[in-house]
Amino acid sequence: MGSPCEVLLEAESRHAAGEAGELVAAEAWRIEDKFSRYRNGNIVHRINHAAGTPVVVDDETARLLDFATTLFGLSDGRFDITSGVLREVWTFDGSDRIPSPDAVEAVLARVGWAKATWEAPELLLQPGMEIDLGGIGKEYAVDRCAATLREHGSAPGLVNFGGDLAVSGPPSRRDAWRVAIEGQQDDQVDRLIDLRAGALATSGDARRYLARGGVRYGHILDPATGWPIPDAPRSITVAANTCTEAGMLSTLAMLRGAEAERFLDEQSVRYWCRR
Amino acid sequence: MSSKNPDRSVAAALASATCALLGTTAAAPVDAQEEPKWDFNTSILYYGEDEDRVQDLSFKSLSRRLFTDDRVLILGLTVDTLTGATPSGAIRQGGPQTFTRPSGNAAYTEAGGKLPLDDTFRDTRVSIAANWQQPAGDNGLVNVGFSASKEYDYLHTGLNARYAHDFNKRNTTVSSGIAYARDTIEAVGGAPVPLTPMLDVGDLSNRRGDDDKDVLDVVLGVSQVINRDLLVQANYSFSRQDGYLNNPYKVLSLVDSVTGDTLSRQPAPQGGPDGQYLFENRPDQRTQHGLYTQAKYNMGGKVVDVSYRYVTDDWDIDSHTLDLRYRWPLGDASYLEPHMRYYTQTKAEFYQVSLDAGESLPAFASPDYRLGNFDGLTAGLKYGWKTRNDNDMSVRVEWYTQSGDVPAGQLIGNQLSRDNFPDLNALIVQFSYRFSR
Repeated sequence: MGSPCEVLLEAESRHAAGEAGELVAAEAWRIEDKFSRYRNGNIVHRINHAAGTPVVVDDETARLLDFATTLFGLSDGRFDITSGVLREVWTFDGSDRIPSPDAVEAVLARVGWAKATWEAPELLLQPGMEIDLGGIGKEYAVDRCAATLREHGSAPGLVNFGGDLAVSGPPSRRDAWRVAIEGQQDDQVDRLIDLRAGALATSGDARRYLARGGVRYGHILDPATGWPIPDAPRSITVAANTCTEAGMLSTLAMLRGAEAERFLDEQSVRYWCRR
Repeated sequence: MSSKNPDRSVAAALASATCALLGTTAAAPVDAQEEPKWDFNTSILYYGEDEDRVQDLSFKSLSRRLFTDDRVLILGLTVDTLTGATPSGAIRQGGPQTFTRPSGNAAYTEAGGKLPLDDTFRDTRVSIAANWQQPAGDNGLVNVGFSASKEYDYLHTGLNARYAHDFNKRNTTVSSGIAYARDTIEAVGGAPVPLTPMLDVGDLSNRRGDDDKDVLDVVLGVSQVINRDLLVQANYSFSRQDGYLNNPYKVLSLVDSVTGDTLSRQPAPQGGPDGQYLFENRPDQRTQHGLYTQAKYNMGGKVVDVSYRYVTDDWDIDSHTLDLRYRWPLGDASYLEPHMRYYTQTKAEFYQVSLDAGESLPAFASPDYRLGNFDGLTAGLKYGWKTRNDNDMSVRVEWYTQSGDVPAGQLIGNQLSRDNFPDLNALIVQFSYRFSR
């Protein structure tokens, strides 16, 4: 998942906690192995190396691609699982290494879900195009793991993969799960949220940016232009029934730039935005 | 910005897409609340003694700013408006009595047969306090703070620190605290030289400047969870006061050895006392030891809270306080809480109702009824409820009655037929509101 992953459990015994923890870990590793673009031989690897030939995918992958298609539509093309290749020119390391417009333009030619042909169970990408399910995968894994805890009937737990989290139920020994949202500095906490049911996801990373000539470039890229979305908030945390919904709402809001808060207000969801 | 999808529908479309992706619906709808950062506890209290004695209208606010990792900033503000009169210390006489005011620039007369009161008692007191509390290690809690208060004739400044440590899976807490205060008494007209007479209007020859006192308090406590329904705690407290401990406005009547009546005096033409009165004097040191025990017992939602305090000091005052509260829930959102408190104390060694002119002056003497033998009983009822937005409100009404006596051996002649230790009755009404932001 590219980030620290943890499960907090209110188990009755060390044994029960260990058992539930292993179930969650197994599910998380299964999803990681299957959908990480850094693994060789998995479905994403096969799709990205198909060189213009169609790939037949399994049910779970098909559901993720359907979901990505829906999001592509809901975001007017701004949420695009083929935009990962832009990372070849953009490295958000706090430096001032802004790529040249030509370099961006060149990569942009290989971006665009609309250019892909997806008709379940077959996906055909243009040569040179790649998909990256990283924008959905972590939240999906959190929800799957929370569901695993519920299905297994374990004690209430909180699944937290790098700040995207969901609870399998309210804790029994205290009022709520207490979640601290990290502030701009490492140790600083922005706010505390009491979570009894549902999920939280945060988009934005204060440490991932570039800056040059007084302009700050956040790490959310617009697949239409290949450039960072201007005026995007530094971080958005959204509360929703599932981590997937929370994560997608925060990402979609980020993609709206200056309009992020207005967008979230219209969705009538609870959110916390930092600019 | 053009949009093919009306923005409002995004969340709904996303919900159904997520449902299709996960193959399940969420277990329960999201319930996420940001923790409030501020907690305010405010109250207005009225305290009124009968017969035009002290009336206090007090506004109190305690604000707590909650930070992460259980760190808390606590800010307190209290504003008291005091009016009314307090006993001057002089005894009753058959006829009217004239006194010089504490300021020394006017005189006043009290009708015959009445307890002499000093009605210049009028003041506004502002108190502030700030404390910072934070965990220390896994089981410790540190709290440090300062306090200050100012009224017309008094300035208090203090520092305090407390450390509590949890043991035994947090079932046992041991705590220790220390507080140091330095107070300055800026008596109206200047503090009088002890045991010197009340002088005529305009004569300030026996007045001095400001005086100070230092107060050191130490508390050692332990609290123990016995089971899920019973909590007990006990603490020992030590207090040492050093410096000016007199009440600069209290006087003792100098009385005839046989009749017990106040010796008369010829006031100056500009006015002055028509009796002989001496300003009180207390030792300049006081050491108190206290023991406090408390038990809280939960009987299926009804909570009994009983406590007992014993305090003894080197002025010979021993006091016992028994306090009983019973919280009786009325449904989920309100409760009734009856309260009873009984207090009794023995007098200070140097408590004197008056001074016998036929005897040599004692080193220390005070007529302050608060240093005498007395009992106090408080009975009250509190009603508390939760408002619609989950804030707490309560109204408390209490009656306080106090009665004491002067040791028979101190009464001389006519004093035996007079009430030398009048009862005190007071009404207390408090309205409290607690809310978070």
